[in-house]
Amino acid sequence: MHTSSPSGLSRRRFLASTAMAALLAASGKAFGDVIRGTQPFSPFDYAPPETLPGGRWYFFSPDEARAVEAIVERLIPADDLSVSGKEAGCAEFIDRQLAGSYGSYERLYMQGPFQKGTPEQGDQSEFVPRARYRRGLAALDAWCRASHSKAFAELPGETRDEILSGLEAGKIELPGFDGRLLFETVLGNTMEGFFADPIYGGNKDMVSWKMLGFPGARYDYRDYVERHNEKLDLPPLSIAGRPEWKTRG
Amino acid sequence: MRKSVLLALAILGGLSAAAQAGDQTDFVTVERGRYLAVLGDCAACHTAPGGKPFAGGVPIETPFGRLVGANITPDRETGIGDWTLEDFQRAMSEGVAKGGYHLYGAMPYTAYTKVTAADNAALFAYLKTLEPVHSEVETNQLPFPFNIRLSLFGWNLLNFTKGEYVPDPKRDAEWNRGAYLVQGLAHCGTCHTPKNVIGGDKNDQFLKGNVVDGWLAPDITGNAHEGIGKWSVDELIDYMKDGANRYDIASGPMAEVVEKSSSQWTDADLKAVATYLKSLDGSPTAPPAPLAASDPRMVAGRAIYEDRCSGCHVGKGEGIAGLFPKLAAAPLVNNADPASLIRVVLAGSRAGATDARPTGPSMPAFAWNLKDEDVANLLTYVRNSWGNAAPPVAAGEVAKLRSELQP
Repeated sequence: MHTSSPSGLSRRRFLASTAMAALLAASGKAFGDVIRGTQPFSPFDYAPPETLPGGRWYFFSPDEARAVEAIVERLIPADDLSVSGKEAGCAEFIDRQLAGSYGSYERLYMQGPFQKGTPEQGDQSEFVPRARYRRGLAALDAWCRASHSKAFAELPGETRDEILSGLEAGKIELPGFDGRLLFETVLGNTMEGFFADPIYGGNKDMVSWKMLGFPGARYDYRDYVERHNEKLDLPPLSIAGRPEWKTRG
Repeated sequence: MRKSVLLALAILGGLSAAAQAGDQTDFVTVERGRYLAVLGDCAACHTAPGGKPFAGGVPIETPFGRLVGANITPDRETGIGDWTLEDFQRAMSEGVAKGGYHLYGAMPYTAYTKVTAADNAALFAYLKTLEPVHSEVETNQLPFPFNIRLSLFGWNLLNFTKGEYVPDPKRDAEWNRGAYLVQGLAHCGTCHTPKNVIGGDKNDQFLKGNVVDGWLAPDITGNAHEGIGKWSVDELIDYMKDGANRYDIASGPMAEVVEKSSSQWTDADLKAVATYLKSLDGSPTAPPAPLAASDPRMVAGRAIYEDRCSGCHVGKGEGIAGLFPKLAAAPLVNNADPASLIRVVLAGSRAGATDARPTGPSMPAFAWNLKDEDVANLLTYVRNSWGNAAPPVAAGEVAKLRSELQP
């Protein structure tokens, strides 16, 4: 469905890291500390991944949430392999990512000048992810109401597929926003949500990992390395655990 | 002329100072006192972290309230600068300070009473050489009525037997040296002996394990299930000297004891203590039968163990010698009281670091990604697998410790 290169954040990452290195060299003080004796330890010292509890939308308005769910449901349709992207929680994943540091590209250099760039230069957009969704979904809604007299989420599946294909191919011009940028952003985020650890809101019940046979966030395989030519069928493991942790009976 | 007189005076002054310093009961006695202070780990309570040596200020949380280690530098106003050897001897052997007031049992005079007068004299000689530090320490911060020192008179009647250690003629010198140290200056029983309701030692259960400040100081008698009965003398020595042997790594308060005290004991003293501990009768109480592997708590616990613990402690609880403690047949794991186990799983822990084992590996905290029930099931599994057998852990016990410990 989609063959272009992954969004080209590497250039910005590179620039950001170079700037950081220059800064460190200039200040002469690294973030690290010199440790003498034993390594420092304090009880209850942990840095859990930042997660948000479910049950609500953090960034999307109800209409935006419906639209995103209607998109991810078509990007990953329910079939005999897995549930749909919507049922797997991809919209919730995207919502929580947008509410966090990803939503503002906090880690990336986002000052101008913004130029079109070549395809090899990747993503050159001036819009951070939050703006892409807010503006892009508004533009999609306006386009759908103008051409189909309905919101995107109210359209039948086939029509939604046509519109998404049109956006991907650059054949549909949204009013006031680059439809292709919207499509690529949502597609990338949907895949991330489908395959990321369930603690981030998507990949509900580790559905994609079960589909692939991916054993999840495991640490150690020493007990298995010598078991050759054997299908292990290790159940997937989330950062939050797995269903087998529950006491049954 | 005047110059040479001054010079002569200066030389004379220097000589007399040297003569005083060289007034040697002295160098040897002081050095012996220094070693005895390490042996008794006086610094644990009398040297605050980052503070001047022996200037006091270490808070000691007891079940009755807070006591604070006293300033025992030779400062005349705030330390023990105006004490005589007799005053010191009385504090050590009777728990009565200069001025006649009773000391609290946190100053383990119930053990120190066993220390010989000669050793007390050496200790006192060493303390006299310390830099005097002027620092007022309010040692008694107990709430009413425990703050009334007179109450200690009655406490002593019930809990205290005065008297120097009397060697057992049926045992050899090494055993007697070990008994003298364990019962006396090393004051092992202060943590490892169960306490009665008023905080006195239950001497009929000497060194059979006790919970102190949320840590289990385990049974260190020859009990093969909960105690150190399976450890050889050499393995006991390894533990005390290096902080680790093939079973276990010292952690929590014991890590401090190893770092500040037992790692610096002489090999002869280590061997004596190990020999004595090994000789202590392990109570014959039958270990409980392990839970069935099919118990739902065991099934869930096994899954958690495999996912969260086996990376370091290895699939069958064997650990990695010197780095990750062995959980199979570990006394601490088999102890009836799971306090320390719950604690290290929730809060993590760092092992003691010694010259022989300088790494001080630490275990991460799991409070953030294991629920109370998870911790309970996990520990129930660990305590009933690979030859271990101990009562199951309830989620409520975990919840209680979590709320007490979590900052």
